[in-house]
Amino acid sequence: MRRLTLNVAALAVLVVTIFPVYWMFLTAFKPTRDIQARTPSFWPASPTLEHFVTAVNAPGFWTYWRNSLLVTVVAVLLALVVALLAAFAVTRMRWRGRGAFVVMVFAAQMAPWEALLVPVFIIARDTELLDSLAMLTGVYFMITLPFTIVTLRGFLAAIPLELEEAAQVDGCSRLVAFRRVVFPLLAPGLMATSLFGFITAWNEFAFVNVLIIKEQDQRTLPVWLSSFRDVFGTDWGATMAAAGLFALPALLLFLFLQRKVGVGMTAGAVKG
Amino acid sequence: MKNRILALAAVFALGACGAGPDTTTGAPQSSGPAKLTVWIMDGSVTQELLKTFETRYEGAHQGVDLDLQIQPWDGIGERVTAALASTDAPDVIEVGNTQIAQYAASGGVTDLTAKVADLQGTDWLPGLAQPGNIDGKQYGIPWYAANRVVVYNKDLFAGAGIDEPPKTRDEWLNITAKLNKGGNQGIYLTGQTWYALAGFVWDEGGDLAVQQGGAWKGVLDTPQALAGMDFYKRLQALGKGPKDADEANPPQHEVFAQGKVAQIIAAPGIAARVLEVEPGLKDKMGFFPIPGKTADKPGTVFTGGSDLIIPVASKHQEQAYEVVKALAGEQFQTELAKEMAFVPNRTSLAGVLAGEEATAAMAAGAANGRATPNTPNWAAVEATSVIKQYMTAVLTGGDPATEARKVSESITKTLNSGS
Amino acid sequence: MRNRSLWPYLLIAPTVAGGAFLLLYPMLKAALISLQHFRMGELIRGGAEFIGFGNYAELLAGAEFWQVVLRTLVWTAINVVLIVVLSTGIALMLVRLRRGMRLALMSALALAWATPVIAATTVFQWLFQSELGVVNWLLASLGFESFRGYTWFADGTATFAVLVILVVWQSVPFAALTLYAGLTTIPGELYESARIDGGTGWQVFWRVTLPMLRQLFALIVSLEVIWVAKCFPQIWVLSQGGPDDATTTLPVYAFKIARVLHRYDLGSAVALLTVVLLAVALIANLRRMVRS
Repeated sequence: MRRLTLNVAALAVLVVTIFPVYWMFLTAFKPTRDIQARTPSFWPASPTLEHFVTAVNAPGFWTYWRNSLLVTVVAVLLALVVALLAAFAVTRMRWRGRGAFVVMVFAAQMAPWEALLVPVFIIARDTELLDSLAMLTGVYFMITLPFTIVTLRGFLAAIPLELEEAAQVDGCSRLVAFRRVVFPLLAPGLMATSLFGFITAWNEFAFVNVLIIKEQDQRTLPVWLSSFRDVFGTDWGATMAAAGLFALPALLLFLFLQRKVGVGMTAGAVKG
Repeated sequence: MKNRILALAAVFALGACGAGPDTTTGAPQSSGPAKLTVWIMDGSVTQELLKTFETRYEGAHQGVDLDLQIQPWDGIGERVTAALASTDAPDVIEVGNTQIAQYAASGGVTDLTAKVADLQGTDWLPGLAQPGNIDGKQYGIPWYAANRVVVYNKDLFAGAGIDEPPKTRDEWLNITAKLNKGGNQGIYLTGQTWYALAGFVWDEGGDLAVQQGGAWKGVLDTPQALAGMDFYKRLQALGKGPKDADEANPPQHEVFAQGKVAQIIAAPGIAARVLEVEPGLKDKMGFFPIPGKTADKPGTVFTGGSDLIIPVASKHQEQAYEVVKALAGEQFQTELAKEMAFVPNRTSLAGVLAGEEATAAMAAGAANGRATPNTPNWAAVEATSVIKQYMTAVLTGGDPATEARKVSESITKTLNSGS
Repeated sequence: MRNRSLWPYLLIAPTVAGGAFLLLYPMLKAALISLQHFRMGELIRGGAEFIGFGNYAELLAGAEFWQVVLRTLVWTAINVVLIVVLSTGIALMLVRLRRGMRLALMSALALAWATPVIAATTVFQWLFQSELGVVNWLLASLGFESFRGYTWFADGTATFAVLVILVVWQSVPFAALTLYAGLTTIPGELYESARIDGGTGWQVFWRVTLPMLRQLFALIVSLEVIWVAKCFPQIWVLSQGGPDDATTTLPVYAFKIARVLHRYDLGSAVALLTVVLLAVALIANLRRMVRS
């Protein structure tokens, strides 16, 4: 009985969570004629791939795709490495200024990025970094870094120090102990944070919009995603198809990490 | 090491003093082959026509490499601002006629007053030339215009026994009521089609905003403007257009393509979009100018369209001007008007529109074209959607006088907020 | 020994360097802009003039700013409470589900999370459309006739409600997945001993789960406060802060001023005051961090 209630509740959450996403894909597969039909249909009567064709054939698609992947992956990996170092220093070492550092990192999350658009633009202009992916990568790295540090610190702090010490007693060096014992336990944390960083950087539009001006080949996918619109309105079929394709990498990343990391396994490791 | 850090800090500090690009001396002219970047808005020109122009232009101008970049609409305001503020801007930019004033006022746009005669600017469309002209200086060069007409479904008109388009507003309401029967909508007019409202307000003798002794004032609360809103409300009720949305969302051509909507208000170029969705409507679409108060002249319409500007930060001023001249010249204008169903930039070229029902209806209306208030902050009034929200409020039962006073105050505040 | 004490500083050096150039420097510049007459003309031509605290005075003296602050507070409170409660429930649910169902639900959450903001916002706009929207259709079919053709976006409160639903929907996946990851790190023995001691489900939650995850909860609450308070594109696309400013929160207000009116100076002032307000709101959390 309890299990039934639980499953019914889970199913309800599942439906509510998935419905808007389902609607997005449904629209992507509907012929334009059916998108604005007066009675909503919950299943595509005559599914079509035309919107996906339009989306993929839009100018610059493959270039933007490559740029996005490059910028996002570099920014996220960089943030992960830099954050891991900082989080280690904060949770595993005692040093003067540690409290202040933690507060600064936390406060950095409040950074009003929307308002920093103009200053960052001016800095890029004055250092001749306009139209360059490097500047963009730097900004995305910085947007995700404070969050990555804060979350990794939370996850690291939750891992008992005794585990490491036990390993060190067993003769491992501190680094090896960290890698063998702590790192696997940290995996779910790394998963959540890297996914967050990925989604944030992947979706960012405001900065690429003003930092990449003349070199169109340096633009990223969000520009493409917003390009199915003209004076008469938006081609929603194509936009939804594009949005589906756009969301795909994050989803694949999630599934991949989920398999690799195996959250349940980690829990077992702690128990054992 | 320490010295280097200091030097770096000094560089940053210098930058922090707000030293912009040096625009006083004018950008240097580079010699040799020049790559010219031209920004054209998505949907303004077809790829094929652009290609034709590029090939022809590069053939006629040795050493010029044209890079025609199609710009997506989302975020275009910020992108143009950033381009004007950069040190190496695109050389020619297409800008909507309601947006130019703010860019020109910022000082980032090259003054082309001296070129007006060379471009035969004597008979430019006022709806394009005036917004491009700030304080007597011509910054924007008129490119093309389009104004809204009524697009109707011939089958539904025939079915309701209507064989002649209406000539006056009263007739219009009558036939629309007749068409609004059964599963059909007399007109699909969304609650926030504010360019249509502007036309009705102008017809009544009202306005959106007026200049009084140096200051701007929103005047949607005058009796004339309220009469325009009242007409909009009566017309809007003769169909199922959502009261809290504009014509772009959902795109009204997709709704019209369902075949159950007798009329929409749109630029004639929309016909091509309807056919993309529903090819069966070919030859089933008719066009007439928006009716006026009396039969002797069609309704006043908002002249939409684009101008071309050259950023001060362009490094190829002279060559950029040559491109503008070609784009605004007779040959390309004729091609553009025919291909895209636009009004050309000069009244003497309007002849190309004759013969085609859609463009003829537009040309008839264009004679009564008007532009939005010519002030740098008008773009902000549009961007904040206050007029749209006013319309929704009235259509959903709000008191027109009260709502009109609120929106007028809001417009007044925005227009006078300095720059 | 001396070598050892240098390590932590080396470890945080990359963070500090990145932060100095890409965050602190732009922040200082923003602060400088907020003290200048800096509009579109100054951005393009340069040569901004220093005017002191004029922009701040203009903001703080007007009633509008304080109304916006109040609205932002209400907006943040409603959203954060809903997000935390719902995501805790979902995380606890995830732990108890069998593998198949759990994976399905987690994938659904990841899907919702990964959906681009602009696409999700548009879909919600359609779902709540007056004439063609699924929500009105569903409500009318269920017998709520008054919702036939109901104009959600004509009414301030209704628009606000739609935005809350949208933001909660978008934010819950992250919080739920993170809490779930946290839950799995709690050693099973703790639960077992709590149950042996005769604890009910609620008691176990209060006595074991919450204390173990206290830090994670504090983290999620403060992150959500920051994100919800700063949430912008959803509101802008759906309502532009309207109708009648009913959904104009601080970021929307700053955007209207800075990027629509091109008053970058005043916009920077709003943004910096927002940071100060956020810092004040989260001061307890900051204090706790200094202590730990």
